Parts: sequence; C-alpha cells; structure tokens
Amino acid sequence: MNRVLVVDDEPQIRRALRTSLEAHGYEVQTVGTGEEAVIGAAETAPELMLLDLGLPDLDGTEVIRRVRGFTEMPIIVLSVRDGQHDKVAALDAGADDYVTKPFAMEELLARARAAMRRAQPGEPPAPSMRYGSLEIDLGRRLVTLDGDALRLTPTEYLLLEALVTNPGKLLTHQWLLRKVWGQGYGTETTYLRTYVRALRKKLGDDAQAPQLIVTEPGVGYRWIAEGSGAES
Amino acid sequence: MVVSEEREAEVSAKVTVRGIVIGVLAPAIATVVAYPIAPSRPEISIAVFMLAVVIAAVAGGLWSGLIAGILASTIRPLVVVDPQLTFRLDSVEDIATGVVFLSVALVVGLLVGQASEDRARASRREREARFLGTLSSTLHTREVPDRVLDEFASVLMEPFALSKVEIDATLDGTDMRAVARANGEAAAGGPRTSVRLLAGDAPIGTLVAERPAGGRPFSRDDQLLLEAAARQATAALDRARLDARARNAQLDAETNQLRAAMFSSVTHDLRTPLASIKAGVTSLLDSAVHHDPGQERELLTTILEETDRLNRLVGNLLDLARIRAGALTPTRQPGAMDEIVEVVLARMRSRLADHVVTADLPATLPDVSVDPVQLDQVLTNLLENAGRHAPKGSEIGVSVLWMHGAVQVRVSDEGPGIPLDERDRVFEAFYRGSSSPETPGSGLGLAISKAVVVAHGGRIWIEDNPDGGCVVAFEIPGEDDKP
Repeated sequence: MNRVLVVDDEPQIRRALRTSLEAHGYEVQTVGTGEEAVIGAAETAPELMLLDLGLPDLDGTEVIRRVRGFTEMPIIVLSVRDGQHDKVAALDAGADDYVTKPFAMEELLARARAAMRRAQPGEPPAPSMRYGSLEIDLGRRLVTLDGDALRLTPTEYLLLEALVTNPGKLLTHQWLLRKVWGQGYGTETTYLRTYVRALRKKLGDDAQAPQLIVTEPGVGYRWIAEGSGAES
Repeated sequence: MVVSEEREAEVSAKVTVRGIVIGVLAPAIATVVAYPIAPSRPEISIAVFMLAVVIAAVAGGLWSGLIAGILASTIRPLVVVDPQLTFRLDSVEDIATGVVFLSVALVVGLLVGQASEDRARASRREREARFLGTLSSTLHTREVPDRVLDEFASVLMEPFALSKVEIDATLDGTDMRAVARANGEAAAGGPRTSVRLLAGDAPIGTLVAERPAGGRPFSRDDQLLLEAAARQATAALDRARLDARARNAQLDAETNQLRAAMFSSVTHDLRTPLASIKAGVTSLLDSAVHHDPGQERELLTTILEETDRLNRLVGNLLDLARIRAGALTPTRQPGAMDEIVEVVLARMRSRLADHVVTADLPATLPDVSVDPVQLDQVLTNLLENAGRHAPKGSEIGVSVLWMHGAVQVRVSDEGPGIPLDERDRVFEAFYRGSSSPETPGSGLGLAISKAVVVAHGGRIWIEDNPDGGCVVAFEIPGEDDKP
C-alpha cells in the first residue's frame, strides 16, 4: 500500500485529504508543521508528500530543500492561486508538481499517480513510444507523424526528448532551458517559447486544445499525452 | 505694485526741490519775456508775471506758487517801471500787485494741491480695490484652510513692501500658522504692525507684518488696508473650511454607498452558493432520504459548480481588496500574450461550450512584460462576461494584434452591447449594466480587469461590435515603449 504524507496546517484540509486518499486505498499520515514534515519524511519514508506552502513554522521551499537532502520521493505542492513565485521557487527547489487550492480530488489523484509512477525504479522507458498517430523513437532519434518522418532541428528534438521522458511532470522554464540549452541558461524564456511553438506546430498540437504539451503560464510546460510502448 | 503711497498727496503740502526750482524758474522766464515789452506795454508784462505765478502754483504746488509770487512781485517793478532795473518799492500800486500775486499763488496753489490730493486718493482707492479684488479671487481658489493662509501671507509681501508676515490662527480648534519672508533675509527690526483676524466679531488670530529695517513706517492707510485684506482672508478661510467639510461629507457618502453596494453584493453572492452547497450536502447526509444515483449526482454537481463560483468570487474580492490597498503590483516577466490567450481558451472551452468561440492570433508577436496570472484573470473575466451576456449559439471572438508598439487583445460578443453613457461606469466596482441587472455576476470583473491593465501601464475600453454586441479591448505597451 502506498504511504502518503499530508502536510497542511488546516485540520479541515487534513481531514478531507485523509478521507479521500484512504478511500482510494492510500495509507495516510498527516502533520501540521514543517518540522514534523521533515521528521515524518525521514522516519516513515512515505512514497509521496503533499505539501502546503503556507506553514506556520517553516517556509515550504525550505521543507522541500531539507527533505531533498535525504530522499527523492515525489513532492506535490498545494498552493493558492497567486503564489506564482512560490510555485516556481518550490519547483526549482525540487518539488515535482503543484496543485492550486481549491482543487478537484481527481486532479490531485491524477498528479499523485503520475508522480509516483515516475519515481518507480521499474523498467527503463520503452525506446519507442506511440501517442496516437505520433511515434517517438528515442533510440533512433526518429519522430514520425502518421508514418511520415518529421524534420526536427537538434534543439527541437532535445526539447521534445526532455518533455516525453518526464511525462506528466511540470517542467519549469529554468529546468528546460538548462536541460536543452545548457547550464548557463535559465531566464531566456523567449527562446523556449519560440521552440515550443515550433514543436507544437510540427507535432500538430493545438495550444487551445492541447493533447500533447500544456502551457503553465509563467511557470513552464508539461507533457500530458499518455504513451504506449510501440514495436520498433 | 505699491498700494499705499503718500508721495503724491504730499506734493502741495511740502517744500520740495522741484517746487523751489519751478518757483524760481517761472518768474525768471517771465522776466525774460516781459523785459522787452514792459516799457511800451506795462499791462501785458503784468499779465506775463501773473501767468508765471499761476503756472508755478499749478505745476509746483502751493510753495512753488508762493515763491514765484514773491519773486514776481519783487522783480516786476524793476522791469516795468521806467527807468528799468531801478529798485523801488514805494508805490501803492507795486504793493497791491504783490498782494494780488501772492493771493493768486495761494488760491491756485491750494486748489491744485487739493485736486492732486483728491486724485492721489482716488487712484489709491482704485489700487486698493483692485488689490482686494485680486486677493479675494486668489484666496477663494484655495481649497484647504492652510493653503489660504499661506497664500494670504505671501500675497501681502510685495504690495506692502514687507520683509516678513506671520499669521497665527485657530480654526475649529486647529492651530494654523503661516509665515512668509522676503527673498534674501532683509535686516530685521524694521517697522512692525499687527492686525487681528476676525470671524464676525470673534478674533481667531493675529497677523504681524514687518518691513525691512529703515523701511517706511506703517501709515493709517496701510493699517486700514491690512485690516480689509484680513477680512477677505477670514472669509476665504471660512469658505475653504466649509468646502472641505462638504467634500468630506461627499466622500463619506460615496464610501458608504460603495460599502453598502459591496455588502449587499457580497452578502447575496456569497450566500447564494453557500445556500446551494449546504442544501445539497444536508440532503445527501440525511439518512432518512434515499436518493437514486441520478439525483445524487445532480446534487453533487450543483455543489461542485457552486464551489467554483464561490472560489471565483472570493478571488475577485481578494483582488478588489488588493486594489483598494494599492497592493496590486504585477509580478512581470517577459511573456507572449497569445500564449496566455491560448491557455485561457483551453481552460474556458467547456464553460463556453454553448457559444462559438473563435480566436485570431498573429503568427508572430513580440514579447510584452506581464504578470501571467493577472492577465489570465483579465481574459477569464472578459470571456466570462461575454459568455454570460451573449445569447447561446452566438459567436465570441478573441483576437490579438500588435499595434503602435503595444499588444492589443479584443474580446467581442454578440450580446446586448453596452450603452455609450455606461461605458465608463461598467469599469466601476459593483456596477451592473442597466440592460442586464439580473444577470449573475459580482460586478467586479471589469473593475479588476481595469486595475490590472492600468497596473501594467495599459488601458481598457469598450467599442461597438459591428455584428451587434460589444468589444472589450485592452492593450499593454511593449518593452521598447518604456523609457
């Protein structure tokens, strides 16, 4: 059974999350402070942490930093709408994802499942993945749409690779820039946007009804398509 | 401008160098003129001397006339009587002529003096009236009592040739003080005078005026004029005080009105979803009632929708509170407006499912510095409004264009439109259009949108939609436009 550590100073939220998560078969531990969160993460080694950023004692980002000192377990941040800065800071500090309060339970559960799946050591990702009519073969660096090979620039390919190898994960601008362009980058969001746009166009994804890449304005991008291993 | 000046009034009363010169010069010229004609026409030469005396009295005043009279009556016999230049003052005729000359000088001199004094007084009165008039209009444009006093103090300086003015007054229990000083510290210790400020008969303060050391002492006229000016100042003070009170009252009334509107709106808009939620939940919790799965789902859907509505309203109220507190500061970062439009459209797709949504986005668009969360909120508000007011099946269009160094976003609908005279008011908080008073909505969306757009240095406005309905457009200046 998966253990989840819920960190929130509001007892009502703790109760609601405990009830809903237990109904979905999770084992739930709830704490109300950042100190307790760090201790709980160390002692019970849960598979997932749901972390509210507005804690009475420690800054949420600080909690993430401390927890990241000893574990790579997925952390999903629960934040309010306006905390864009906090969200980005939390993600850059090592959080895996965020959900904005008030959230729908199904959304939270989907994010939680995706985060835990990514964290599974499991088998290495299939070298070739199929997303509807789109097929991406990372081993051969080949991308085909409806059977036709797409001509991607090296940067476009690296960007696509970064996205598909982190399915469901919210990748911040900074993370993507460093991953694709190199360590010296981090603020050149215009590059990123230009390439995401070009990539979307080549992959046939509509930003107004995205099936592959979702934009999180001011934060980053997320690959949302569920792939299936394809025969290569 | 010097308001009160005594020099002109003193012309006839005092002996001046000018008076002496005229008094001497006039008979001298008369002598030169009369000398050649005197032996043959003595009566004309007498007339010439008489003329000299009159001219001297008119031009130089009383003393000038008298000097001329004495000289003329002394010289005349020397010139007129044969043999010329023989001094002789024995004839009754000479003495009589002298008396006549002096009498004429006296009468004319006094008359002229009187006239010039009258003239000086009239022109002084005119200047005083003009000064008081200007003072009154200057002071009455000041809206705050403090400003009235400051203005009053400084306005007195030049006309009265003062070096310093100090005013102390107490109005409605508030002590006020105004001090004006001449440019360049003049030597202190000059003539001083003080005037009381009276409101009706009650003294409310004191004005102390000081001239530079060695300055002219304050005359009775100065004193009277200062008192008149002080009366003007107290009147202006009184009016400014009443104005301020009226303004405060109006502000209070507006605030109260807004507060009342806010309370009624918030009470209604918060309670309605809460009522639905509570009704739904208590119904579901009631063990005595059995709901079939369809009813249960319907109740739960209602609860979900009402929760979302409540969430949006609370978000709007928080934004409004931030605007009021001046805390709506955008966290700006370079961003593409079309990207925000795409995200909002993707999210709003299901909520606008009853309408035909079209988007017209340019292939390329320069970056603008924006707060993506706040701009997302603006677009969401505009699209929600369009969806709320436009009939089902009608078209809602979103277009983005780059114009004059700014990105412009336009949301058009085919709803009832907004009358011209309401196009400013719809951006006020809690204002609901007259055409749709019953449409749900907090009346906050446009107010918040405006505040956000303005905080980004942009503007927002309403146009007619050529296809019927209206267009709400806003623009945010691009990076290059900023100084």
